[in-house]
Amino acid sequence: MSFTLLAVFALPAISIPFVYLTGKKSNKAAAIFVALIALVILALLLTTVPAILNNPGHRYVESHAWIQILNADFSLFADGMSVSIAIISVILIFAAALFSINYMEGKKNVAVYYALLTMLSIGLVGVFITSNLILFYFCWELMLVPAYFIVGNWGYRDSYKAAFKFFIFTHAGAVFVLLGIGAIYWLTGFTDMFQAQTALLTTAFPDVVKWVLIALTAGFAVKMAIVPVHMWLPDAHSEAPATMSALLSGVIISAGAYAILRLSLGVVFPAVNLADPAFALNFLHALAIFGIISAFFGSLIALVETDIKRLIAYSSIAHMGYIMFGISLFPSNAVAGTAVLVVSTTAIAGTILHILSHAVSKGLFFLSAGAVMHQTETRDIREMGGLAGKMPFTAVSATIAALSIAGAPPFACFISEVLIFIGAFQVMATDSFYILPTVLMLVATVLSLAYSLRFTSRVFLGSNKNWGEKKIVEVPKYMKIALAIVVVMVIIIGIYPTPFLNLIQTVQFG
Amino acid sequence: MVEILDISLPIISLIISALLTIPVFKIVRKSSHKTALTLGWFIVVFIIAGATVANLALTYYSIANPGLLNLTLNGGASSIISSSFLVDAISIYMAIIIVAISAVVVIYTVFFVNSNERPSDRYFAIMLMLTAALLGAVLSGDLLTFFIFWEAATAAAAFLMMYRKNAFSLNATLKYLVMVIIASAFVLFGLSIVYGITGTLNFIALRDALTTIAVSDKSLLILAFVFIAAGYAIEAAIVPFHFWLPDAYTAAPAPSSAFLSALVDQGSYYILIRILLYIVIPKGPNATLDWTFMLAILAALTMIAGNIFALIQNDVKRLIAYICVADVGYNLIAITSYTSLGLIGNLYFFLIGGITTALAFMVVGIINKHGFKTLEDFSGIGKKLPLASLALVIAGLSFIGVPPLGGFMAKYLVFTSALQANLSWLAVIGVLTSVLQAAYLFRLIHYMYARKSKDATVIKESKRILIPIFILAAALLVLGLFPQLVLNLLEPATRQLQLITPLP
Repeated sequence: MSFTLLAVFALPAISIPFVYLTGKKSNKAAAIFVALIALVILALLLTTVPAILNNPGHRYVESHAWIQILNADFSLFADGMSVSIAIISVILIFAAALFSINYMEGKKNVAVYYALLTMLSIGLVGVFITSNLILFYFCWELMLVPAYFIVGNWGYRDSYKAAFKFFIFTHAGAVFVLLGIGAIYWLTGFTDMFQAQTALLTTAFPDVVKWVLIALTAGFAVKMAIVPVHMWLPDAHSEAPATMSALLSGVIISAGAYAILRLSLGVVFPAVNLADPAFALNFLHALAIFGIISAFFGSLIALVETDIKRLIAYSSIAHMGYIMFGISLFPSNAVAGTAVLVVSTTAIAGTILHILSHAVSKGLFFLSAGAVMHQTETRDIREMGGLAGKMPFTAVSATIAALSIAGAPPFACFISEVLIFIGAFQVMATDSFYILPTVLMLVATVLSLAYSLRFTSRVFLGSNKNWGEKKIVEVPKYMKIALAIVVVMVIIIGIYPTPFLNLIQTVQFG
Repeated sequence: MVEILDISLPIISLIISALLTIPVFKIVRKSSHKTALTLGWFIVVFIIAGATVANLALTYYSIANPGLLNLTLNGGASSIISSSFLVDAISIYMAIIIVAISAVVVIYTVFFVNSNERPSDRYFAIMLMLTAALLGAVLSGDLLTFFIFWEAATAAAAFLMMYRKNAFSLNATLKYLVMVIIASAFVLFGLSIVYGITGTLNFIALRDALTTIAVSDKSLLILAFVFIAAGYAIEAAIVPFHFWLPDAYTAAPAPSSAFLSALVDQGSYYILIRILLYIVIPKGPNATLDWTFMLAILAALTMIAGNIFALIQNDVKRLIAYICVADVGYNLIAITSYTSLGLIGNLYFFLIGGITTALAFMVVGIINKHGFKTLEDFSGIGKKLPLASLALVIAGLSFIGVPPLGGFMAKYLVFTSALQANLSWLAVIGVLTSVLQAAYLFRLIHYMYARKSKDATVIKESKRILIPIFILAAALLVLGLFPQLVLNLLEPATRQLQLITPLP
């Protein structure tokens, strides 16, 4: 019996009151407390890596008794995909906590803020490492409630309104997930996703399984902010405090992508594919189309947006479009009557890597933008310019983030986008549908280069704007440290993604 | 072996405590430690009541594989018409939650001080009497015994409702009493037909009689059960018979609203479960009448109407009263599904719904006390009364069904049971109305935290009244994280229902 992953849940849960009490005394101490929690969780997660690489099933599993009557165990697992995303989210939490030291200074009720951040970290990490569907839903909603209060209470302008929109949209998506989870329990009697996957293959109601697939995917797509259910994202991301924007854009929406891969496609899709291959293929094609629409919609609006944070928020929608396109390359077996697939293909490995690289790049992007807003107290990029001279450190980090988002080597998103496109060419050989989408996706990457360059040149380059009496200086120490950590991650993934790819390649669906 | 004495002890102990409460209050009135002494008295009362219930539960579960135990006062040939008690997993579970929630609400009432509505000695005595009557009702073994205890409970409930004695509360109580009288007439009419045809009102004997009844009598019998069910549907506030509830709960003082919503409501669902699941079996080999579709429609109506009316309320207490109506709908889904998961879900929902509404009414009572009533008034409450607001947020999240609070597990069980019973449309309506709940409850939270308060007066939060409130809030969290604690008590209930008829 091992308790490594249980500790990942228990440690932050137990720490919440202590974080609160520390926060009452000192802002800095509480932030360091949260950062330390994140470090311990990181260490715990890293201890499972050898088991994942060496175990025959490439999965580290842990199970504790929970609700026997519902056949639900507190079952936790880590495999290549989940542990790598969890590691990235812990690193972002760590950076966000350090960033908060300067960012939250002088704000009201910081104790509550850090307590909520700790609570959020349970959901942010837990959602990736649980294989029990009920527990998964626990974590899924636990990402939502603390986020609502953080966005509402410490955000900008009409932040509670943005938070309200965020909650209602994503909760409406979540209830469809709940219906899907309920239906899986009804169909199979299991609440564990891996047991359910096998049981679903022989279900007596293949038509219901289709609806389950659609309900789950639609629910997760709301979290991913795929057009047309993206409306909550620009408001929530732009009104949230910088740390929360980084986590929202870096991890929370990626959790939607993870959930589609893990649950919709990993658990339910094989059964649908078995029963009705034509429908399964159309389903994947539909995902690709939604992906393209999101990529273009997000990029085009980012190209004309003048609000610094809304620009980045729209670029998140665009990148979720890339990820959705990558997901749509999920291998499907067109021959009826055979159980499907298994080990990850190039396209899926690229998609998972893109989830990671987008998380760090977008986290860095939002933190840098937050630093700019914190120092200049303005958010309209037309009023900025020439900040590179005044804030060189932030300028470098923001430029790295922008270039990574644009897909320029040697930064993180370059490798993953290349892998997705290689995967797309491979799939094209068997499925000619993908020719046009792949071409369109390549066009969309050009757009992302355009808006990234526009951002950098408008904010950091060009002539000095008249700042009047305001004196613009470089960001304080802890913000620099936080930015530096994420910059390092962006470069590492960009130059040497092998450790992550090794982990990702072990992923088995089904 | 369970004796009649084991069953009647909790009821008798509560009645005696109720009678003693008035002299006890006379004695402690002069004392300078009045609150502490009254608190001590009620703690003693509920320890005794709790011990007697625990005794009943332990005696019952000491039997190997216990079934439905029917204990009649008279033995032999007259046992079929005798007053009787029925002990099974459900009635024991109900007895436990009635005593537990009642204890918390009474402790809250001790601390509840309001200039013009300080609860008197009689108020407490009636609360204990009501608890005793409800215990009697859930432990009764035939429709007539239930009816008698239930009438006693509604009379006590009417007293709790009109305690403020202003025009609004008298009006609301009158409405309630008229509805209750109509309901009682329905029930009595139904009972007389049932008795005339079958010669018994005993739950178990009645079910046996129903399976062997002549076809010619069947239509009349169905009519009788329609009357009985309609009577109790009025008291359970199922839409379209719900209109007394919002008035009554809004007009009553906060302790009454909490007490009524958490306990009296659950009592009326309890009898619906008894009649619909245990006597008029809808499906399977012993089926009498398939009422599931009818009830599914009512469930859908109740959820939709309850939530839409809640959405348009401006008075927060009234908003919560409408959530009580909506909760009836979610409970009905579970009854309708007629699966073992549904039964478990229903009983779990009783407890969670009861705790959540009681919690919400208790907090709103505290906030109302300072003169804040409408949504507009609630602006900035989050800063003025941070702890009470936190409790209200917890209650709200539990209503919506956000994990890890109890409300999530309750809704999960209910919706899954609907899917199991092939009532997906009902589950879809259920989740969509839950989103509606999220909308109006988050509007409330929005007012509490996002809006600025109109006046800048600083309110000192009373700490001790928060103790019972946070007991309930903690219970919601614990039951949400470890539902097993309660579900273990419910598992025998499904086995016992399986004895009557096979369940999916």
